[in-house]
Amino acid sequence: MTTLGENRRVPQVQIRVLRDDYCEFVLSDTDPSVANALRRIMLVEVPTIAIDLVEIEENTTVLNDEFIAHRLGLIPLVSNAVYNMKGVFEDAGEEDFMDVEMSLNVKCTSEDTMDVTSNDLTLDVKHPEVHPVGYKQGDFDALKRPILLVKMRKNQELRLRAVARKGIGKDHAKWIPVATVSFQYMPEISINRALMDTLTEQEKEDWVDATPSKGVFRYNNITKQVEVDNAELYQYDGEALAKSEELGKPGLVTIKERQDIFIFRVESTGVLKAEDVVLTALEVLMRKLRNLQEALPQQDVGAT
Amino acid sequence: MTAPSWPGNLPNGKGTFENGVHEALLGDPSKLTHPIKDVADKYELLPAFLKVRGLVKQHIDSFNYFINQEIKKIVRAKGNEKVTCDTDPNFYFKYTDIFVGQPQVEEDYITRGITPQACRLRDMTYAAPISVDVEYTRGKEIVVRKGKNGVGAVVIGRMPLMLRSDRCVLKGKSEAQLAKLGECPLDPGGYFVVKGAEKVILIQEQLSKNRIIIDVDSKGQVTASVTSSTHERKSKTNIVLGRKGQLCLRHNAFTEDVNMAAVLRAMGVESDQEILALVGSEPALATLLAPTLQEAKSMGLFIRQQALEYLGSRIKAGKQQYSSRRSRSKVDEARDILANVVVCHIPVLQYDFHQKVIYMAVMMRRMLAAMIDPTLIDDRDYYGNKRLELAGGLLALLFEDLFKRMNNELKRTADNTLSKANRAGQFDAAKNLHVEMISQGMESAISSGNWTIRRFRMERKGVTQVLSRLSFIAALGMMTRITSQFEKTRKVSGPRALQPSQWGMLCPADTPEGESCGLVKNLALMTHVTTDEEEAPLARLAYLLGTQPASLVSGFEHSSRGVAMVFLNGSILGIHRRPKRLVKEFRRLRRAGRVGEFVSIFLQQDSVYIASDGGRVCRPLIICDRGVPRVTSAHTAKLKRGEWGFSDFLRNGLVEYLDVNEENNALIALYERNCGVATTHLEIEPFTVLGVVAGLIPYPHHNQSPRNTYQCAMGKQAMGNIAYNQLNVMDTLLYLLVYPQRPLLTTKTIELVGFDKLGAGQNATVAVMSYSGYDIEDAIIMNRSSLDRGFGRCIVLRKYGTVLKKHQNRLQDTVVAAPLPAGQSKPTGRHKLLDEDGIAAPGEVASPGEILINKQVPMSTKDPMPHCMTTLPPSAYKPAPVSWKGPPGESCIVDKVLLTNNDDGHIVIKTLMRHTRRPEVGDKFSSRHGQKGVVGSIVAQEDMPFSERGICPDLIMNPHGFPSRMTVGKMLELIGSKAAVSCGRFHYGTAFGEGSGLADNVDSISKTLVEHGFSYSGKDQLTSGSSGEPLEALIFMGPVYYQKLKHMVLDKMHARARGPRVVLTRQPTEGRSRDGGLRLGEMERDCLIGYGASMLLLERLMISSDQFQVHVCNHCGLLGYFDANLGCAVCPSLKSSDQMATLKLPYACKLLFQELQSMNIVPRLKLAEA
Repeated sequence: MTTLGENRRVPQVQIRVLRDDYCEFVLSDTDPSVANALRRIMLVEVPTIAIDLVEIEENTTVLNDEFIAHRLGLIPLVSNAVYNMKGVFEDAGEEDFMDVEMSLNVKCTSEDTMDVTSNDLTLDVKHPEVHPVGYKQGDFDALKRPILLVKMRKNQELRLRAVARKGIGKDHAKWIPVATVSFQYMPEISINRALMDTLTEQEKEDWVDATPSKGVFRYNNITKQVEVDNAELYQYDGEALAKSEELGKPGLVTIKERQDIFIFRVESTGVLKAEDVVLTALEVLMRKLRNLQEALPQQDVGAT
Repeated sequence: MTAPSWPGNLPNGKGTFENGVHEALLGDPSKLTHPIKDVADKYELLPAFLKVRGLVKQHIDSFNYFINQEIKKIVRAKGNEKVTCDTDPNFYFKYTDIFVGQPQVEEDYITRGITPQACRLRDMTYAAPISVDVEYTRGKEIVVRKGKNGVGAVVIGRMPLMLRSDRCVLKGKSEAQLAKLGECPLDPGGYFVVKGAEKVILIQEQLSKNRIIIDVDSKGQVTASVTSSTHERKSKTNIVLGRKGQLCLRHNAFTEDVNMAAVLRAMGVESDQEILALVGSEPALATLLAPTLQEAKSMGLFIRQQALEYLGSRIKAGKQQYSSRRSRSKVDEARDILANVVVCHIPVLQYDFHQKVIYMAVMMRRMLAAMIDPTLIDDRDYYGNKRLELAGGLLALLFEDLFKRMNNELKRTADNTLSKANRAGQFDAAKNLHVEMISQGMESAISSGNWTIRRFRMERKGVTQVLSRLSFIAALGMMTRITSQFEKTRKVSGPRALQPSQWGMLCPADTPEGESCGLVKNLALMTHVTTDEEEAPLARLAYLLGTQPASLVSGFEHSSRGVAMVFLNGSILGIHRRPKRLVKEFRRLRRAGRVGEFVSIFLQQDSVYIASDGGRVCRPLIICDRGVPRVTSAHTAKLKRGEWGFSDFLRNGLVEYLDVNEENNALIALYERNCGVATTHLEIEPFTVLGVVAGLIPYPHHNQSPRNTYQCAMGKQAMGNIAYNQLNVMDTLLYLLVYPQRPLLTTKTIELVGFDKLGAGQNATVAVMSYSGYDIEDAIIMNRSSLDRGFGRCIVLRKYGTVLKKHQNRLQDTVVAAPLPAGQSKPTGRHKLLDEDGIAAPGEVASPGEILINKQVPMSTKDPMPHCMTTLPPSAYKPAPVSWKGPPGESCIVDKVLLTNNDDGHIVIKTLMRHTRRPEVGDKFSSRHGQKGVVGSIVAQEDMPFSERGICPDLIMNPHGFPSRMTVGKMLELIGSKAAVSCGRFHYGTAFGEGSGLADNVDSISKTLVEHGFSYSGKDQLTSGSSGEPLEALIFMGPVYYQKLKHMVLDKMHARARGPRVVLTRQPTEGRSRDGGLRLGEMERDCLIGYGASMLLLERLMISSDQFQVHVCNHCGLLGYFDANLGCAVCPSLKSSDQMATLKLPYACKLLFQELQSMNIVPRLKLAEA
């Protein structure tokens, strides 16, 4: 068994933006494999709560039973209670908390079309903390508007019982806690000053304008120099390189992806706070590593 | 500058030309060279046009013409109007008028109105009574019976009604009213509902009738032919070249080709000089005519009598039926045939042959001219020579036939009854009409598609088809479909090729592949098909405009230079000395609305043709005066404000319809910038060359043309929404998409036909890259999470129904509750789904083999029921349940149950089974560019590549799909849609639309992309989802509208190890539906033989198939049998078991031996030790 040497790296996290639904941080001093592992776990292995079982008692709406069940499943439920819950495949005792029972009982009595939304769900009295995102928080805020399930005409009725359960995104996309999660390599841009100086002013300006993502390069009018303004905005479109070729000066600029700095952007669906998604993901990653660690020595013994 | 006389003032004398034109004509001459300004929003004419026309006006117009006018003409026709009787000269039965009423049905002796939706659900026919006013004799009195309010007094049958026709309840209804009737407002109508099935009478294409066609026969000789068609008779007349270069008449009525000079002579043109004058006295023509005259002379035919005798001796036997009296001389017969059979569409009144002589002379003249100048030979495939036969015309043929049959039947009963001396009561003809004859004849013809017209010996199959409700577009595409009468097997390219004259009339892309390629066509978006128009006023008008009647001028004048013959629908009206003026005046009158808008007039060589017949294709165009479009921005502004409709443009002479022939007299500019001084017309919109189905393709003009054709075939298989009433129908099979979307990249056609409201696909984010190797050969990779979220999810609804019949012995099929097993409150096993009424309960989950309707049929349906019993014991019935046959392992849900009764009073039970499916590996998807592919692999989202924004594709497509297919349109769709999602505006990709602003061009799209932080090229930097490393190449990624096609693995996959066998041969059954075996065919067998795998061959072909053990007698070589009593095999002829051998052979082989024996051939097996 090898131990990590003296110069082992300690990954660093620097948080840039942190809101309830959004988190942006820079992960550095690590490898793409670690960054990707974190991304993958955030996407599909952070447990959340979603409606998993629907028993329909009465459905006279235009949408059929499966249709409504599918829509119910995709409603994001605030999942802070997920940490106390046990999943279907987890070892659970009698008293463990596994199911959240919700119900829906709506009948349209007016002449107008009626919207059945996530606000019409009746929550589990024992677990009122599990509720749809934006539940009864006012119809006027566009961001907190309830989620439309089905529209009804007069005398149509929908009566059902729904059971929400803990699960992970690997089983079904409804348990994915994030809208998007992605990371970006930090570009490393170095301009060949000597070669750049051979360009005329006009050419320099043209060269800067060739890059479609504005703000990466800047032509400094005072120093008459091309500078790298914000390397992070670079989109690897290759236009700067192409322009260099066109000008007959290949090698004006070299652009590399730094293999040890990653900018992460996590956008939550609202079921968990973005920071919780990241933290839980790290926890899951740790647990996986621990499992591996526990399993490894036995293997070593077997091998030797 | 004085005002030129043309185009001058409008006939109403007011001269209300718009300023633009006025200025161009009368203003400063230097301004004439100025470029012509574009007409702003000229495109708006198209929606206005479609608003008045709808998409299937051709069908509806044709049917309306039939029920309003043609049916009356049929009844008034000479042979139909009156029924007389041979036995009683006083008897007559006369029809004075005929009406087609409102749709209704008679149930339990109560007549009620019906709706199409009710007919669909109840398996009934949407039909209206046909009623007549009559006048007839009853005994000695004359009875006059007249109805009122557009309804006749006597009902003679029921006419199936076309939806949205004049008599249909849906006519002119608003959206809310249609909803109340259970109808979709986007449904175009134009079809029939017969016995619950929606039937379309396809448009039939044929060569135009009553026109002279100069053609080249198989020997390379020029011929002239006319297919004459009148109400009574159809005949084909040919003039061909004889062996000696003489012109001959070839006709069915004659045994051989007869000399044309003799024919003319028989019609009263006796002198050679006269013939020459009629045909043409130019030296070239005269030389060619000489052999004909010479032959006539050599045969000694100088006077009329001789010619008639000559013809009379060549009349085909059996053709005498044309003369009513038998004892007629051959001369009279010949004269009769010439008058009534040859070129029968030219009427001969009282043996005045003048008209016909001129007509035949013109045929000869044109034929001879074509022999000198081969460019004058007509092109059969030229679309101006084609006529489209629509529902109305076909129904008229059928109706007349049935009507005649009914009258014959009436005559027969009248003959029979009136011949009896002492009758019980008076004979009332009105009560002896066979009402069923017309009703049933019409109904069965439409529902079977077999059009049998006895009097024309016409026998057509497949005239109607079931309206395909696979998708909205499929239904719409069917309504515009044209089938050709041409045989599919003939390997000729001419009729299949895209003819230049089809421009703007037929869609160049929408045709099937394979055997019917090019024979089945589709109408373009603005095409209209004309209906017949009254000829008499047109003829009168032509005479008023200076046409000299043919009968008043001599033969020399016909063929003199500068004089044009004037034809009206193929018959000669006369001659005109200033044909250009005639044409000009005629058109002016048409533009002023004095002549029907669909009447066409055109000048070709030295003839003016006026056409008002039905079945011509035509389309609207903007009129230009010396290159200046009459439609100006002021007009389109009025249109946009809603002050004007399309008809106002027609009425004011700004727009007119041109048919294919008249287009030849026009110079049509595609765009305003192409307008020159000689330009006479301007296209309304170039993209209207495409049809409805091809109109869905974005940027079709950037695609390789066959790709558009492929998409046209595939668009009809795409799942989506069918109609607004899709959940209220009970179709045999219905595919619906769970979340259909409207394409991000739309076209104007999409909006016009309503595809944006009834989409058939979803906007999938597509990454064009290679992934995992499961994407070769057009396979696509799908994102599992997208499928979880509902991408490509579909609902399959299938109907299982039955009819509870009432049998002869007054017994009826019944549905009974399932037997309850002891101690159970609900039925179990196969009966699990059933309610107390014996029908499956909606919402139940069914597995294969379970019973949906627990029907029972009486054991005996013929023997009369015993009197004493009011109810039969259960033992008198045998079960005949309807069960669900689904794929094993799948479950399905009972969606709906419908109980009703049909036309015959039988109870109909229908159950609808619903199955929701998510895409799986092997399901077929396609973009709108003929790029189909199956799902090759479904990959988890975390393994999918992602962009730095977190965008992850729904679907990965291999880039190899592009280079060879050259579907640039798809790439444009991708970046266009990407721009559309980024900026929130639907983008357009209308065909040829970049110039007129109906399509977004690449520059503006790229600009939008850059504005929203994307690369102008649509490429993104992606990171691998599985390794986290950046992908080396930039990936072309964006949304593309993808269609899910109806072909799904679930319906197709099949495998078997053991299973059922055919009784006769004991070989495994064939086909998936019978759980059949997979055949090791000849070619596979050859491979195994070649390889030498003999044991494998033996196993595959015998052991695994129909191995059978037989006993063969070594002595006589016959098959023996195994005697169970003796416990050994016995030879049938020797009756001994001494020399019996056993061997194994295929059962089919044993069967062959026995069958040979049964026909007295003895196959003997000679066995050797092995």
